[in-house]
Amino acid sequence: MLIMTASVRGTERRTSIGANLAVACLIALACAGCSQEARNVGPTVPQTRPRDGADPRIALYQANVDQVAQGGRYFAWYGCQACHGESATGVRNLADGQWRHGGDFDQVFASIADRHGALRYAVRVPPEQLWQLTAYARDLPLHTPEKLHRQAVDQRAEPVGNSWSGPQ
Amino acid sequence: MKAPADRRLQLEQTWSDKPGLWGFLTTVDHKRIAARYIVTAMLLMFLAGMLALDMRWQLSVPENTRMTPQLFNESFSLHGSTMLFLVSVPLMEALGLWLVPLMLGQRNMAFPRLSAFSFWLYLGGVMTLWVAHALDITPDLGWFEYPPLSGPSYSPGHRADIWAQMITFTEVAALAASVNIAVTILKMRPPGMTLARMPVFLWAQLISSLMTILSMPAIMLVTSMLIADRMVSTHFFAPAGGGDVLLFQHLFWFFGHPEVYIIFIPATGFVSQIVETFSRRPLFGHSVVVLAIMAIGALAFGLWVHHMFAVGLPRLGNNFYTAASMAIALPAGLQIFCWIATMWSGRPWLATPMLWVIGFIATFVIGGLSGIMTASAALDLQLTDTYFIVAHFHYVLIGGAIFPLFGAFCYWYPKATGRLMSERWGRWAFVLIVGGFNLGFFPMHFLGLMGMPRRVYTYPPGMGWDLLNQVATAGSAISVLGGLVFVGNALWSFWRGEHAGSDPWRGSTLEWAGLSPTPPYNLAYTPAVTSLTPMWNGGDPLRAYDGIALERREVLITSVADAAPLYRQRSASASVWPFLSAIAVTAMFLGSIFTPWAVAIGSVPIAAALIGWFWPQRERTMTGLLRKRR
Repeated sequence: MLIMTASVRGTERRTSIGANLAVACLIALACAGCSQEARNVGPTVPQTRPRDGADPRIALYQANVDQVAQGGRYFAWYGCQACHGESATGVRNLADGQWRHGGDFDQVFASIADRHGALRYAVRVPPEQLWQLTAYARDLPLHTPEKLHRQAVDQRAEPVGNSWSGPQ
Repeated sequence: MKAPADRRLQLEQTWSDKPGLWGFLTTVDHKRIAARYIVTAMLLMFLAGMLALDMRWQLSVPENTRMTPQLFNESFSLHGSTMLFLVSVPLMEALGLWLVPLMLGQRNMAFPRLSAFSFWLYLGGVMTLWVAHALDITPDLGWFEYPPLSGPSYSPGHRADIWAQMITFTEVAALAASVNIAVTILKMRPPGMTLARMPVFLWAQLISSLMTILSMPAIMLVTSMLIADRMVSTHFFAPAGGGDVLLFQHLFWFFGHPEVYIIFIPATGFVSQIVETFSRRPLFGHSVVVLAIMAIGALAFGLWVHHMFAVGLPRLGNNFYTAASMAIALPAGLQIFCWIATMWSGRPWLATPMLWVIGFIATFVIGGLSGIMTASAALDLQLTDTYFIVAHFHYVLIGGAIFPLFGAFCYWYPKATGRLMSERWGRWAFVLIVGGFNLGFFPMHFLGLMGMPRRVYTYPPGMGWDLLNQVATAGSAISVLGGLVFVGNALWSFWRGEHAGSDPWRGSTLEWAGLSPTPPYNLAYTPAVTSLTPMWNGGDPLRAYDGIALERREVLITSVADAAPLYRQRSASASVWPFLSAIAVTAMFLGSIFTPWAVAIGSVPIAAALIGWFWPQRERTMTGLLRKRR
């Protein structure tokens, strides 16, 4: 009788550990899913520059596919691909993983904001868009040339800048 | 058709599944598989209905904050995708899987294992969409996910891939079911059931299966092109790269329009059977109804462009598709007049299945009339993307397909479970659902005419839309309440309902010849058919043939036109291979969301599983790999 009880208890414990593991896995999966694909359409708080390469806000942009894609949109709209397009070479090629002024988030951010001379992006581009542009630029080396080309093709088709086709 | 007890025992032994989980995973019994399909789809209908109620809550007052725009986008995308791909089409096929062999007096489908494979893959599609939803990777671009919005640049992440791959799952499942149904109907009719003596339900299932076979490849092609665009950077839908975004819309709607008729045509089959049985006379104008179904099936492939009037096609082209769209009102109208004539000249018995048919006719006619309005290209330019369209397609889809489905559910429930559903609660459910539905969706016509656009998550006050939106929300809440009564009635009756006996409605077709609930072997003998209504037959008893094996699984194959007996065919036994194959295919489909290599690597386990499935058996081989497996 005693042995039976013990064995029943043992099974119970094992089941609960199994259940806990399953729940933990599900939660982990859910978290992994939600942060990467979260799509927040509403307005967000105004941004300041990243403090350093370990600013906790960086992950919100760099690890979120929608923020990166939004950066790609601004990349086209601000005319960045005129110099940094697919055929860019040397230091202007952003997809080669070589960063002249450092590849950390704050360093790339500073390169975009402060190192474009008279374009004065730090003043002309709102901070949040600079965050998104930075995330996009740092994302570029992660993709195959075909993927970058496909993205460029989509951006070329957008009626912005020289290809504007709407009312004048 | 009384059979001696030893015959029934032998048949039971031959056709039963193994008990327990193993039997559950290996069964090829079309009734069990169809029941799974139906229960899963009903559960999803409940979930999608909850989404609808949530959206109605959000829209009940202006500038409501119950939902964010993103949640609203996800909700209507999930609602639409679930209802179209995971509820309506699978439910119609499930009714076919369950009822076609019964109505043919056969023991199983033509390809028993393919039925099992179809269900497991469908379940894979369900899990793909809803587990992804639980992980907050919900598709959020509507039920048709047009590029360029769904392309790689504008929909990063995997939301669109989840949607596209869910389509692949459900379409493979649908193709498997349709091929199975079409072959079963064409080659396994009982002796004497010539094409001219086929009940309308079988015609409807045959034609919608053929339509599925012809239209589904278009959507599988187009979603595969979308996945290729997103994953391996092809240019199908990139205009600057030589692609065309309209190509997606054309291919999508080349499937999408036949799809609504793939949903509607089986419903006309249910309606015809119910009207016949409950009017106590053979269907008026059987050939007219069948020819009308054929005409709808043919015309359905020629009017997909009416979903695209607003994209700027040439006007002459629009005119053509306007004419084609209006032409379909003719066969649809003929059918409705035939049903009304049957009721008019018969002795209608207003049991719940018949009530659902009457609800269907009233609602569907309203939906058909707004359909004629939206078919006109000129008017459609005003109405498109407004709530008028929402009202129209809910009237035709819920009124035209789901109401007959509920009627079919009540009608065939005693055959499936051996018990009758409560008539009183059935009438309550009918009044609540049909009343709530009309209260909920009729105001949307006006909202649409007043300019309220579709797919908006909220609206400002002062537009004059407040009252009608509140009425619509109240209506959908009543409707959902009715749905709960319906499901509650079905569950309660399952354990506590009145015993039905084999033929509670004194039905006209062969499924009523056997016991209720149907035993694993269906009918004990092969029936001989001499008329359109073999169970009535002018009072003559149903004659039957013998000669099909009892101690092994065997079915009778007959000729396509005359249903003359041709030969006896071995029917595949229970097997775990369809389940394993479906798992292998699921792994490949899911993997190909993330890497193209999954297609190449994933086909190896699929090939292995299929080899297991189709491993040849030779009766006379005693040794080696080809010996008959025990």
